[in-house]
Amino acid sequence: MGSGKATCDGSLSSSEFLIAANAFAEKWKKFNSGFPEWSWIDSSDRLGFSAHKHNDGYLSLQNVVLQRDLKEKLDDEGSSNDHEEPLDNATLVHSSDGDGYRYDFHVVYSSSYRVPVLYFRAHSSDGQPLSLEEIEKNLPTTSANALIESKWTFITQQEHPYLNRPWYTLHPCGTSEWMKLLFEGDDSTTKRGKEQYLISWFSVAGQVFGLKLPFEMLKSIS
Amino acid sequence: MASSDSPPPPIASRKVVVHLRATGDAPILKQAKFKIAGTDKFSKVIDFLRRQLHRETLFVYVNSAFSPSPDQLVNDLYDNFGFDGKLVVNYASSMAWG
Repeated sequence: MGSGKATCDGSLSSSEFLIAANAFAEKWKKFNSGFPEWSWIDSSDRLGFSAHKHNDGYLSLQNVVLQRDLKEKLDDEGSSNDHEEPLDNATLVHSSDGDGYRYDFHVVYSSSYRVPVLYFRAHSSDGQPLSLEEIEKNLPTTSANALIESKWTFITQQEHPYLNRPWYTLHPCGTSEWMKLLFEGDDSTTKRGKEQYLISWFSVAGQVFGLKLPFEMLKSIS
Repeated sequence: MASSDSPPPPIASRKVVVHLRATGDAPILKQAKFKIAGTDKFSKVIDFLRRQLHRETLFVYVNSAFSPSPDQLVNDLYDNFGFDGKLVVNYASSMAWG
């Protein structure tokens, strides 16, 4: 009991991250099938790191169009399972609209904080990268405020550890705190915990962008 | 006497019992249970807590597993995660920042 708690401090090892990342991508694909898939970008052979760093990499979800309707779509998928063509929001994924911003999301493991970190960038449909100010203006207000103003996370700019360019991130300093909460009271502890870590984590991190997980996916960890 | 094609009671009128449960050193509320319209958004629960606790740094979550999006409907959360006629919502506040 005591030792179970101790291992559940809200953080994740890099090998646990790999397992959790796979579990997350699989469930996302299964329950969120109308949406682009997360892919694992293998970077085991990136310069300067080799041999001992097997399976090094990160999760990537590219070219997501975020606009108001996106939230509706994820909602719909959360509550019903039909695979019929959605009439009203088919444009969300294959968007040809002029003003939807396109986002790239990467989930990268931070070995200093021992938690996943959400990296992101956005550009307008004509390819112009968006400034942080423009991104913030485009965030869904309730969700973003709830998180950012409550100081559970904030947006900052950091060098992407794999791409070596500046990307925006949700700062990970509070992550293990709230992740710990998401595991407390779970007596069956760590098994569910670690493998399903990213689902719990994304339920928080995704809120900043109005990205919701389908209820089926959340139920699978409850 | 209601004709067979009269509509069922609208789900809109349903009230959901929300049970607020403090975690960690978050203050316990005097009124830990309250009723809320199912058609309300979850943000209403968060606002209620914020008002009661006078705290900004609040983390609200369900089933020790995930944090619902503020614009999710209470009805949907109850249907998926409620039991014993109520929706249990955990909250924590932290001193770690600001």
